[in-house]
Amino acid sequence: MSTSKKKAFRIEPFKHKVEIDPKYAERTWKVLDEAICEIYNHNASGLSFEELYRNAYNMVLHKYGDKLYMGLVDTLSRHLKNMASTIEAAQGGLFLEELNRNWLEHNKALQMIRDILMYMDRTYVPNYNKTPVHELGLNLWRDYVVRYPKIKARLLDTLLDLVYRERSGEVINRGLMRNITKMLMDLGIDVYQEDFEKPFLEAASGFYKLESQEFIECCDCGDYLKKAERRLNEEIERVSHYLDPKSETKITAVVEREMIASHMNRLVEMENSGLVHMLIDDRYEDLGRMYSLFKRVSGGLGLVRDVMTSHLRETGRQLVTDPEKLKDPVEFVQRLLDEKDKYDKIITTAFINDKTFQNALNSSFEYFINLNPRSPEFISLFVDDKLRKGLKGVSEEDVETVLDKVMMLFRYLQEKDVFEKYYKQHLAKRLLSSKSVSDDAERSLIVKLKTECGYQFTSKLEGMFTDMKTSKDTMQGFNAVVSNADSSESPTLSVQVLTTGYWPTQSGAVCNLPAEILAVCEKFKTYYLSTHTGRRLTWQTNMGTADLKATFGKGQKHELNVSTYNMCILMFFNNVNSMTYKEIEQATEIPALDLKRSLQSLACVKGKNVLRKEPMSKDISEDDVFVFNDKFTSKFYKVKIGTVAAQKETEPEKQETRQKVEEDRKPQIEAAIVRIMKSRRVLDHNNIVSEVTKQLQSRFLPNPAVIKKRIESLIEREFLERDKNDRKVYRYLA
Amino acid sequence: MAMRKEDTIKLVSAEGFEFVIDRKAAVVSDTLKSMLNSTGSNIRDAELGEVKLPEISTPVLEKVCEFFYWSLQFSNGIETEFDIEPEMTSDLMRAANLLHT
Repeated sequence: MSTSKKKAFRIEPFKHKVEIDPKYAERTWKVLDEAICEIYNHNASGLSFEELYRNAYNMVLHKYGDKLYMGLVDTLSRHLKNMASTIEAAQGGLFLEELNRNWLEHNKALQMIRDILMYMDRTYVPNYNKTPVHELGLNLWRDYVVRYPKIKARLLDTLLDLVYRERSGEVINRGLMRNITKMLMDLGIDVYQEDFEKPFLEAASGFYKLESQEFIECCDCGDYLKKAERRLNEEIERVSHYLDPKSETKITAVVEREMIASHMNRLVEMENSGLVHMLIDDRYEDLGRMYSLFKRVSGGLGLVRDVMTSHLRETGRQLVTDPEKLKDPVEFVQRLLDEKDKYDKIITTAFINDKTFQNALNSSFEYFINLNPRSPEFISLFVDDKLRKGLKGVSEEDVETVLDKVMMLFRYLQEKDVFEKYYKQHLAKRLLSSKSVSDDAERSLIVKLKTECGYQFTSKLEGMFTDMKTSKDTMQGFNAVVSNADSSESPTLSVQVLTTGYWPTQSGAVCNLPAEILAVCEKFKTYYLSTHTGRRLTWQTNMGTADLKATFGKGQKHELNVSTYNMCILMFFNNVNSMTYKEIEQATEIPALDLKRSLQSLACVKGKNVLRKEPMSKDISEDDVFVFNDKFTSKFYKVKIGTVAAQKETEPEKQETRQKVEEDRKPQIEAAIVRIMKSRRVLDHNNIVSEVTKQLQSRFLPNPAVIKKRIESLIEREFLERDKNDRKVYRYLA
Repeated sequence: MAMRKEDTIKLVSAEGFEFVIDRKAAVVSDTLKSMLNSTGSNIRDAELGEVKLPEISTPVLEKVCEFFYWSLQFSNGIETEFDIEPEMTSDLMRAANLLHT
């Protein structure tokens, strides 16, 4: 290429002008027209692609694109009309097949035509805003075949009929269905939806409405749910086989609505088989099914949850208020634990650990456990029983499991401070009589309580343990000292020194100890005070025990384990044979109630009557006479009399404890009020009440009336004052 | 190196000159591609592997074949220049239009 040419570069017009006259266009078109016919008649092999392509190319190039396009539309329409009549003529079952066959052919032909006319598609079509060939072909098919009135209705009916038959259990040609629905989808999503999906959904709705009516009349809940589930799965499978995936949500919605949502209430409340019965009978499978089905429907799970909650609350309420059950606290608590286990299992197995159900369970338990004001006491008794004997020989992990379960019940309590009080009492008795089965278990429970409620809750309890240990050390020291001095006939003493603050307060009863006992007690006191100056020791005679060696009439020797009071009483019978009640009372100075109880345990208990009472009545009266029972016999050498085990409190004791609890609460409430007011300075009445409740709720639920009283007391003592303008507002006084 | 029949295409110019090129090169042109891949595989051209192009003169067709190969090279990363003589330009354009290249 020379440079000069480059400078003078310009485009020259066509060297040869190709002039096409209309006749040529006509002829060219004819060629193409015939070719299309041949294609539709499966005679494409005789054609030359290149020739046809070139022809189409030329037509467009020479501005006969219009003619070409219109011609195409014409020809295609003609052929499609033919196809439509063929299809329409098909009989019965062959209708769909005929349709399918023609559709496939049409597609093949369309492909070829498009290839040939590619040039037109590329240039003419976009320039003149015409529909591209492929789309054109589809649209024409849609208009001349699918929407051809006779075919349209028949197509829809056939399809719906097939679906109905399949639902009724027949096997249908799924492949064919697939092709047809695919055809509809190819024609455009709106065609699929309008011409098929909508009527399909309506038909399904009607079908399931009927079916669900039928089922619900004759089936029980479990069966119905099984059937519903089956239908649901069927529909999903159907979609995967021959429907548009997008239809899945729509059809499942229909089934859910007709089979589940409309009958939700009826199912749940069905007699003998509804939700309540499933819960009672632990029907995990049915429950699981109900859960997964109802989950799909809005409000379904809410309904299930509500029914479960109300049933649980009712059952729980019955449990805690049934007087029969309340007779045995251990049994009572065990029943609660069993109930909790049952529902835990249900929620884990059938309700896939749904948190909302777990919460419902917790709130129900909290509700009915606190219905019975004695629940804290009973739970403590349950623990006491377990720690005394129930956990004997049980493996460590099992112990932990039981304690964890107890903790769980503990959390539901609103009056945790009541529990604390009882627990302290029971623990004291256990420790002092060394009746605890496992020290480790005791400590483990304390740790759990500490984690749950904080250090303050358990500090005193831990103090009790420390006291026991310290006492052991002290005793070792004392015994060493005593054995050096002469001991001979003095009784062996074992002392536990209790720090007053830690242990539950008992009325410090006094009684006259026998001389020998007194002597050795003084020795101990001296010893102790020598090492711990500035402390005061008081003998708690109502809590001790003694072992006595007794010889009876025929020479039988027995070792009697008795309470300290009993020991004092019995020692007198070393000197005399009989005493009256009054004499005993005077000599020992034991308080009347305790004395009566002690005498009862000595004289009125079968098999343990070391004393005989005259008259032989059950109750102790002031005129009774007590005689040493020579004829006492027992199978065992060691006889235990009247051990003080933790009992369910009698009415007066109960009142007393409750009163103590209320008294303890007052300062706590006051402390809370002062704390709050100090930081807030000014606050109105309702807010104070809610803040106080919030602060104290881990221990107990304060009564608003009590809070009010405390506020007034604080005002009197000038910690707070009322606002001058608004009587409901309080101000903190520094 | 003997090429198998299926791998090559014969392009015939207006004057009847035959140009044998690889199928790979030929399908650079969309038109040729669809001609050869036509679903109606009973279309003659596809079977024979031969395409008549009576509208395209020999020198133009030759240039077109060159272009096919150059295009393949280019897409493999080898960038060279493709020379076009000015006089041939318009004819080349027409051919390109027809063949969609």
